[in-house]
Amino acid sequence: MNSGLLGMPLAAVGEVGEGFFKHRTGATLPCQARPAHLFCWDWATEHINRFGTPALQQFELVVISVLIGFAIAFILALIAHRFKPLQFPLLAGTGVLFAIPSIAFFMLLLPITGRGRETAIIALSAYTLQIIYRNVMQGLNNVPDSAKDAARGMGLTERQILWKVELPLAIPEIVGGIRIATVSTVAIATLAVFANAGGLGSQIYSSSNLVFPTAIIIAGAIAILMAFAIDLVLLTAQRFATPWRRAASEAVP
Amino acid sequence: MPAAEATKQSQGGASSVVYQGATKRYGHSSAPAVDHLDLEVEAGEICVLVGPSGCGKTTSMRMVNRMVELTEGDILIGGESVKKRDAARLRREIGYVIQQVGLFPHRTITQNIATVPQLLGWDKERVRARTAELLALVGLDPELGDRFPVQLSGGQQQRVGVARALAVDPPVMLMDEPFGAIDPINRERLQNEFLRLQAEIRKTVLFVTHDIDEAIKMGDRIAIMKQHGRVEQYATPSEILITPANEFVEDFVGSDRALKRLSLMRVGDISLWRAPNARPGQSTAEVRAELERPDVEVPYALLVDERERPQGWLTKRDLSGDTVPATADAPLGPVLETSDVMRDALADLLQGESMYAPVVDHNGRIAGILSIEIISEFLNSPVAATEEQSAVERPLAPDRASEIAADE
Repeated sequence: MNSGLLGMPLAAVGEVGEGFFKHRTGATLPCQARPAHLFCWDWATEHINRFGTPALQQFELVVISVLIGFAIAFILALIAHRFKPLQFPLLAGTGVLFAIPSIAFFMLLLPITGRGRETAIIALSAYTLQIIYRNVMQGLNNVPDSAKDAARGMGLTERQILWKVELPLAIPEIVGGIRIATVSTVAIATLAVFANAGGLGSQIYSSSNLVFPTAIIIAGAIAILMAFAIDLVLLTAQRFATPWRRAASEAVP
Repeated sequence: MPAAEATKQSQGGASSVVYQGATKRYGHSSAPAVDHLDLEVEAGEICVLVGPSGCGKTTSMRMVNRMVELTEGDILIGGESVKKRDAARLRREIGYVIQQVGLFPHRTITQNIATVPQLLGWDKERVRARTAELLALVGLDPELGDRFPVQLSGGQQQRVGVARALAVDPPVMLMDEPFGAIDPINRERLQNEFLRLQAEIRKTVLFVTHDIDEAIKMGDRIAIMKQHGRVEQYATPSEILITPANEFVEDFVGSDRALKRLSLMRVGDISLWRAPNARPGQSTAEVRAELERPDVEVPYALLVDERERPQGWLTKRDLSGDTVPATADAPLGPVLETSDVMRDALADLLQGESMYAPVVDHNGRIAGILSIEIISEFLNSPVAATEEQSAVERPLAPDRASEIAADE
């Protein structure tokens, strides 16, 4: 906390101080010194900069982990789609990964990958597998049989059916999986601090925060906003990629 | 895709389809789904495969484009074995229409129709021209081209299904209960449209249905199937109705097969009666004399105008004066057209509670009189009807043949 104060230009501290005493008549102490205070605006405006780097780290962790998780889960789903008997074993396998408690996962990886970003990314990617795999499978399974039969009957090859019919029709479920995976990864990535991978967790899991929760609230709010923002981007992308779904809701026979 | 192949596959025309001991056995199960099917479908004909569910009709159809692989035997399209062809390429040359339509929900109508042309690598301009042509051919507004399937009605969707199957002008079309999921009114409309279209494009069509009425209406020839794809009778609709090969066919066709024959005939196909025509101002003695003639079957005179359009029936009182009056005493009742289907004509007669109805040609001029008696004679004379069908090839079953000989 001191480092944050020291990093501030003196003039800035003075300005905040002036404002503080002007508006809080009767207050004798700055709010961070009063344990009962849930959220301290003055501290927040003063220290908002210290959340920049952790937020960026968090964002990177989320994006990289989801991308890697998506790539692996997508390939697994395509394999299971081609070789149906693998569907269940793969679902069970990704389910086991999903069930490992996150901190335990980091500890398990420590002897192999050590402390750092790699460890966090491996664990976070592993968590997304189950969600994305399941959704891609569901999307592929939901493609109407009649469309597949017609495609085959018109002379599309299996690969053409996959890329031109099945995958485009599975986009809503696939993007849905990525959205859920992203939101949950934003939350779990706050634990990456235990793998020494930084992120917003560094601002949350600090002993002083037990008596002064403002930093937790700020870090939490940033995480929520991040989740919402990514979700919105994905949703918009999905809308653009699936014009036929809009047509369905506007359909006037 | 090389351009040479693209042109080859849009040659149009029609090819014959010949089953040679075609057999499909699933796994090691003892009973084959289709057992040594032999069937010849002539180029440009609609062959309807009809039978109870599980008789193997759809399996038989799907063997043609190898959606179902033959276990034994062969199928020749235009003399060429389907087994020698790459399955995907073979399918691009065979139109494929299914009951659930199977349009791609994520592609527009135009994109759906363009599926096979795009697979064959047609250039954009050619694809655009062809899709526009096809939309018009199946009677769809060109504006619908940019819509998605979900924005179309069931009937419109199946029109697109037919257009999509016709995209590269394939010589053979496979249609699996194409109108089965459509409401009765639209089904009839689609059936009629397809028959009109077929008269123009003359494809070889294998048409699967479980509905004998649809089979009679659509088929140039009908194959009635029992279990394991065994063909009980392969003949023209009228032959199947007049001389069912056996009890199975008779049961399948139904006890009303005599009436069903009426839907195969038009009023103009039958020899009509004639009534004396009378014009206003004509001498009644002349008309009365004509009524006495032995070749006049109708005991009433018909009042016609100067353009021979029927106006009404003249009663005895109308003819009691010296000249024929300008208006007739008895109303005209139902008026039929030569292009009316006999079944509908009979319905009109019964509805109008009349024994006779004047029949007019497309100009409204009197062409003759249809009576209940003519229809009942027609139904009682199988021979007369068989003569009208030149395409009967299959010999009659022996017992039936002797029955008919006795009638003669």
